[in-house]
Amino acid sequence: MKKEDTVKLISAEGFEFVISKEAAMVSQTIRNMLTSPGGFAETEHGEVTFPEISTTILEKICQYFYWSLQYSRGKETDFHIEPELTLELMMAANYLHT
Amino acid sequence: MSAPKKRTFQIEAFKHRVVVDPKYAEKTWKILEHAIHEIYNHNASGLSFEELYRNAYNMVLHKFGEKLYSGLVTTMTFHLTEICKSIEAAQGGLFLEELNRKWADHNKALQMIRDILMYMDRTFIPSTHKTPVHELGLNLWRDVVIHSSKIQTRLQDTLLELVQRERSGEVINRGLMRNITKMLMDLGSFVYQDDFEKHFLEVSADFYRLESQEFIESCDCGDYLKKAERRLNEEMERVSHYLDARSEAKITNVVEKEMIESHMNRLVHMENSGLVNMLVDDKYEDLGRMYCLFRRVPSGLILIRDVMTSYIRDTGKQLVSDPERLKDPVDFVQRLLDLKDKYDKVINSAFNNDKTFQNALNSSFEYFINLNSRSPEFISLFVDDKLRKGLRGVSEEDVENVLDKVMMLFRFLQEKDVFEKYYKQHLAKRLLSGKTVSDDAERSLIVKLKTECGYQFTSKLEGMFTDMKTSQDTMQGFYASLGAESGDSPTLTVQVLTTGSWPTQPSATCNLPAEIMGICEKFRSYYLGTHTGRRLTWQTNMGTADLKGTFGKGQKHELNVSTYQMCVLMLFNSIDRLSYKEIEQATEIPAPELKRCLQSLACVKGKHVLRKEPMSKDIAEDDAFFFNDKFTSKFVKVKIGTVVAQRESEPENQETRQRVEEDRKPQIEAAIVRIMKARRVLDHNNIVTEVTKQLQSRFLPNPVVIKKRIESLIEREFLERDKVDRKLYRYLA
Repeated sequence: MKKEDTVKLISAEGFEFVISKEAAMVSQTIRNMLTSPGGFAETEHGEVTFPEISTTILEKICQYFYWSLQYSRGKETDFHIEPELTLELMMAANYLHT
Repeated sequence: MSAPKKRTFQIEAFKHRVVVDPKYAEKTWKILEHAIHEIYNHNASGLSFEELYRNAYNMVLHKFGEKLYSGLVTTMTFHLTEICKSIEAAQGGLFLEELNRKWADHNKALQMIRDILMYMDRTFIPSTHKTPVHELGLNLWRDVVIHSSKIQTRLQDTLLELVQRERSGEVINRGLMRNITKMLMDLGSFVYQDDFEKHFLEVSADFYRLESQEFIESCDCGDYLKKAERRLNEEMERVSHYLDARSEAKITNVVEKEMIESHMNRLVHMENSGLVNMLVDDKYEDLGRMYCLFRRVPSGLILIRDVMTSYIRDTGKQLVSDPERLKDPVDFVQRLLDLKDKYDKVINSAFNNDKTFQNALNSSFEYFINLNSRSPEFISLFVDDKLRKGLRGVSEEDVENVLDKVMMLFRFLQEKDVFEKYYKQHLAKRLLSGKTVSDDAERSLIVKLKTECGYQFTSKLEGMFTDMKTSQDTMQGFYASLGAESGDSPTLTVQVLTTGSWPTQPSATCNLPAEIMGICEKFRSYYLGTHTGRRLTWQTNMGTADLKGTFGKGQKHELNVSTYQMCVLMLFNSIDRLSYKEIEQATEIPAPELKRCLQSLACVKGKHVLRKEPMSKDIAEDDAFFFNDKFTSKFVKVKIGTVVAQRESEPENQETRQRVEEDRKPQIEAAIVRIMKARRVLDHNNIVTEVTKQLQSRFLPNPVVIKKRIESLIEREFLERDKVDRKLYRYLA
């Protein structure tokens, strides 16, 4: 995949997740970050740092992005969420507008 | 089983960690405020979207939404005021460009601000019913920039001036115009309307009022219409290039009102170039333009239609009442047809085939054709002419074409029964003299009449054709039965005509020469032998004969003459001189007919088979006639026509009229009886209306005649007057 088509998401602990832009844009917030005119730092460098999202959650989020893409394309599977992650995941979802 | 006990659950809001730092809000807002400044200063590339978004997010989450929002309003207003100043400072032509550039900047900034404040837009604003960020940005732009005292009128004037310059032929920056009007539309349709459109329409109205005044003084109608059309197209083009599509109807309305509606009457009646002149000169293009333009204004088409109608009526009236035209019926009808063709073409090519125009045309024709009581006769004469010779060598299609046109005129006639009367006469003459060019054409016309007026109308005409056919068979049968017996006696061709089917002729018999009498008698006995219970009367006034004559130097001529002429000529076989009285006695031809036939035998140059003493144009009772020995002619066959008036003379016309009136009486009576039988009781006026309705496909009955018929029916005890109300009639079964 070309570099322009990917985006790097960085967690609070500094872990980097490189995922396709298409998947990342499942989040309305990330979509805005990448498309807003005027050239914010995120658009320029193609990476977003989330100082308030832990690695575990960010990983789960990335998984969700890809699942969501597939789901919208008609592949109806279940998305498993561990109960202990639920709360933080929901807060992140609110933040990311997913 | 009892209902399960209700339990109320309470869901408590998730408690966020309480922010300890009291200056937290202030600090966060400072970061955001700084970012907004940077955005307006085109310096955003160093900013982290995530950080700003997170800050705004946290502010809203920590109940500082209000602070964030009001801060945004203040900061934005500050920047817009700055922008406003720089726009105001722009000189002359740069004004619009500066405005346009700043507007683009503001839009971009607004988009970025909205993006980073999206969380507020999503949660805080709907719950507090505040204006969303984007709309807020537009509203502030409108209030701070566009409605600033120094910009508002300047903007208006600049826009209007540009439009004005374009109207006078200059090229302007349409893209810029488009952007600015688009901005006004983006700010809300009322901004566009109040700040631009309203004034635009007013100024345009003034402009076109003046311009149209100027044009109408200096141009003729055609040029004026061209100019108006061009202006109209220009305005539509302008709208499509840089105005709101909804303005089109409004601005075209202004042009229509000022350039067309206010000058409509003057244009149509313009001397030397108005509607009537266009019609006369066949200016289809101008007419089409007038139609298209006038169609846009209320009652525009009505005006054109009325003027056209009254002009057609005038021309038509002139045509039908011109005594010159009445001399040649064929030409008369041809002119009517030409007139109709002309206007059909006008309506077809210039007036969009408008149904209402067609109707107006038809009613005009109906109006003036019926002004002349001889129209039915003339139309029939026209058909007669066409079917006698006019259609020779013409393709079948063209024949149909001509007949269709004639039918169209026929449709306009009110007195269809008069037409029928004449048509019958003319058809009889054609059939008996064998002059019809095409049997197909004859039948085709009858079919058309039948579809138009029904079986009743044509049954007698069809009867005439049947008679012709039967007579042919009869003659064959007759000669077959005669066999060798016929010898060298003259050949006889008899057409047996059913009484009633043919126009009644005054049965003016004459004494046939003995040579003919013989074979006539043979035929009579043959015919009565095959058909019992019939009576034969000779209609000598309708026949023709071919004679062979030998003249002075032995030259032989074949003379084609009428039966009467034949009778006269046969007398000269035995004697050279006969006085008028002697001829009259010998033949017993009625005096007027005899005079006519002698005139044609003795007075027509080149065809005078007889010599008259004294030589004069007219036949007197004491004239004497001689066999003209010296008769010569270039042709072997000489056709001696009777001097017949093609067109009916006045007394004949009167007579036909009278016959028509007589024929109408039973029809009117039948109609009255039909109506009364159904209604039993009806008052006078209603009877008249009903009768008129029933009969109008054939003729327009005269109310006076209807009244007379009612009286006659009362006398004959079909009806009676009501004893109380004298206006009521009752039907007596």
